[in-house]
Amino acid sequence: MTDEDVARLLAIEPFSAMDPRNFSQRVPLRGILRNDTRIRRYRNGTVVVRQGDYGNSAFLILAGSVRVILEGLDPKLVGRSERRRRSVIGSVARLITNPRSPESRDARRYPQMQRPADDQSPDAERAFVQDVNILRDFPAAFEQTTNDVMTTGELFGELAALGRIPRSATVVADGECELLEIRWQGLRDLRKYDAALRQHTDDRFRRFGLSAALRASPLLAGLSTELLEQVTSAAEFETYGSFDWYGTFQQLRKRDVDPLSAEPVIAEQGHYPNGLVLIRAGFARVSRKLGHGEQTFNYLGKGDVYGLAELVHNAGAAQPVPLASTLRAVGYVDVVRIPTRTFEQVILPNLPAGMRPPAALPVDPSGGGPTPSRPDRPGGHEGHGIDPPMLEFLVEHRFINGTATMMIDMDRCTRCDDCVRACASGHDNNPRFIRHGPTIGHHMIANACMHCADPVCMIGCPTGAIHRSEESGEVVINDLTCIGCGTCAASCPYDNIQMVEIRDRSSNDAIMIDPAQGKAIVKATKCDLCIDHHGGPACERACPHDALKRVDMRDLDSLARWLRR
Amino acid sequence: MTFAARRWFAIVLTVVVAVAGSAVLLSRSMSLRGTAWESGWVLLAVLLFLASYNLRKKLTYPPLLSSATWLQLHVYVGVLSVILFGWHIGWRIPNGLLETAIAVVFVCVAASGVAGLALSRMIPGRLTVRGEEVLFERIPVYRRQLRERAEAVIVDSAQESGTDTLSDFYARRLADFFHGPRHAWRHVVQSTRPVTELLHELRSLERYLSDGERETLRELTELVQAKDNLDYHRTMQGMLKGWLFVHIPLTGVLLVLVGAHVVLVHAFAGASA
Repeated sequence: MTDEDVARLLAIEPFSAMDPRNFSQRVPLRGILRNDTRIRRYRNGTVVVRQGDYGNSAFLILAGSVRVILEGLDPKLVGRSERRRRSVIGSVARLITNPRSPESRDARRYPQMQRPADDQSPDAERAFVQDVNILRDFPAAFEQTTNDVMTTGELFGELAALGRIPRSATVVADGECELLEIRWQGLRDLRKYDAALRQHTDDRFRRFGLSAALRASPLLAGLSTELLEQVTSAAEFETYGSFDWYGTFQQLRKRDVDPLSAEPVIAEQGHYPNGLVLIRAGFARVSRKLGHGEQTFNYLGKGDVYGLAELVHNAGAAQPVPLASTLRAVGYVDVVRIPTRTFEQVILPNLPAGMRPPAALPVDPSGGGPTPSRPDRPGGHEGHGIDPPMLEFLVEHRFINGTATMMIDMDRCTRCDDCVRACASGHDNNPRFIRHGPTIGHHMIANACMHCADPVCMIGCPTGAIHRSEESGEVVINDLTCIGCGTCAASCPYDNIQMVEIRDRSSNDAIMIDPAQGKAIVKATKCDLCIDHHGGPACERACPHDALKRVDMRDLDSLARWLRR
Repeated sequence: MTFAARRWFAIVLTVVVAVAGSAVLLSRSMSLRGTAWESGWVLLAVLLFLASYNLRKKLTYPPLLSSATWLQLHVYVGVLSVILFGWHIGWRIPNGLLETAIAVVFVCVAASGVAGLALSRMIPGRLTVRGEEVLFERIPVYRRQLRERAEAVIVDSAQESGTDTLSDFYARRLADFFHGPRHAWRHVVQSTRPVTELLHELRSLERYLSDGERETLRELTELVQAKDNLDYHRTMQGMLKGWLFVHIPLTGVLLVLVGAHVVLVHAFAGASA
């Protein structure tokens, strides 16, 4: 961004209405615009953002307009390929047809191998989603969609950027348009120092995102539209921790720092419960004072609530109790706080029967209040039965992020590596995980993609090659559109993405060279939970001793059952 | 289902099948009808099923039940096959050359299977509590790293202190220890005597060392312990992998011998009738 660009931005809404004096000296408005924004120009019909992608920026329309495709767009038209499972015969045939070298592929499938060596034009490769032009290439399909127009001055994409949720719609340029892309860091700072922008984004979230988030909570499922509207208007939004928590987490790991010191407190044990906390995104640690430290006994994720037991206990009670535990942000956490008054007036009378904590709550004699529960385990206080050391381990290593974490019981694992061989047999002769990793007691978390609930690897992928599968939500990589930039591998806090050089099957498994660049073609690889095959993850099915399990860390009860086998 | 519940269910089911099968064969033999023909064919089918587990391991992706389920079936059907084999040979030692060979190989296959199962249940827990978890293929690399570290520590110490107490001891007692895998048989019988003696000898040097050398001694002690743990992992992981090199080839030999047996039995069926 040049000085002229910044000056131009400062002369137009909403920046012209912002008071630079409200900004800190360290983070001035001019600095935010210079460092965290860029002006981008789009041709008619090109895709700006794609539904389902994870993005880390919002867009302000500076000139022209865009079309927001609400529904009816075939995902294939914007590069979403439909994955087909291999047939059973095909799976058996791989035993014979598998090449001997790892990562050997059919070069004819890769676009860069098809173009002449002297073709250096940017249009020669259409890996980037921005290269797709819906209006030019698929006008008839576009006519079938339901879409809306956004014009100059309007902001879009901020909810996905701030909440780290997938883009809810595909947006295409409607004619030539000029957009200001604002990185999430810039958007966060603008929100922090400018009340109007904060109010604007909060209003938009209240209008478009909050109802859905509240409706998804089982506690509020029984509310009528009118009552939900009351809750929506009273709710407060709060964000804790660092958006790029993975960078902080990697630094903490290296420096051996007490993780609690880096986790902001959302609600503190012993304080008055001033509202029901609903986790909208991210994870939070629930701990209780023990001696001179704090012991973790639970963690909460998207959709979980905190403070329910205390609020129910205090409603109409002569002696209200304080919060029984401390809630801390593990990484980045987005919460909705429903004030106590709204909870007591609207939610409590309509609480579904199964969601109400038991009337006689175990109260901490030291004045800590009742033991909290989770809505999916009503009355089951700490009922998952997982030992605190295991919970500490899972939280501190951020394994709670996993929906398919590879956990190995080393007391049963015979180190036979059948799991590794099974994985390699279905993935180009190269296993997509390493049977090694941090251990606690006799359990190991192996280096395998955990298919995170908060997949930070997706943020920043320039082609959207790494994405969630439409069918079942696995985090997968489109091998054809991956350009081997390594952004995902660098972002993965768990080092579970490997960059590999691929080989040309038709050239005696020689390393595949991009003729235009003269460099080896590199691709990102990781566990895909055997999405192309029948029967689920081969590693789990190949273990003869029931030692390996893909664990969904959101389901503590299942994990506890597996640990107690 | 917990492992205990699964084990009890499988044991009860195996006993029921074994008793029912034995009752059928006993009733047939008491009515003076031969059981060799039926028991032989059933035994062949059972042996083929047991051997097919190895094939299942190679067929990763077709949905053919999990490998763990196959192993459970393999173990308990294997137990039943021993009982069936006993009925088939009339609970006596066979007298023909081929039949004796089959019996011997069958017993070896069954025994190696039982041994393998026992090792698979006993060793993993011991590995978990002994040293760091290491990949078997990486053990030579770690061993070399330990040796290089130990040599570097000794050289540095000798240069700094100007004495050869530690370097002499290293050359005399530790150089060979760090050079390759050692005390395999001791590890097999879970004996820690060799490393205990080595550590005792190291500690007995302490009175002759300067403060700087004592620090070297402490580091050397840790390296000796780490090397011993590495040797232990190598031996134990080797055993976990090694028993299959007995069990699987013998299974192949058994199937070949059984094939010959079937051909011969059919070839001479008319004569015996």
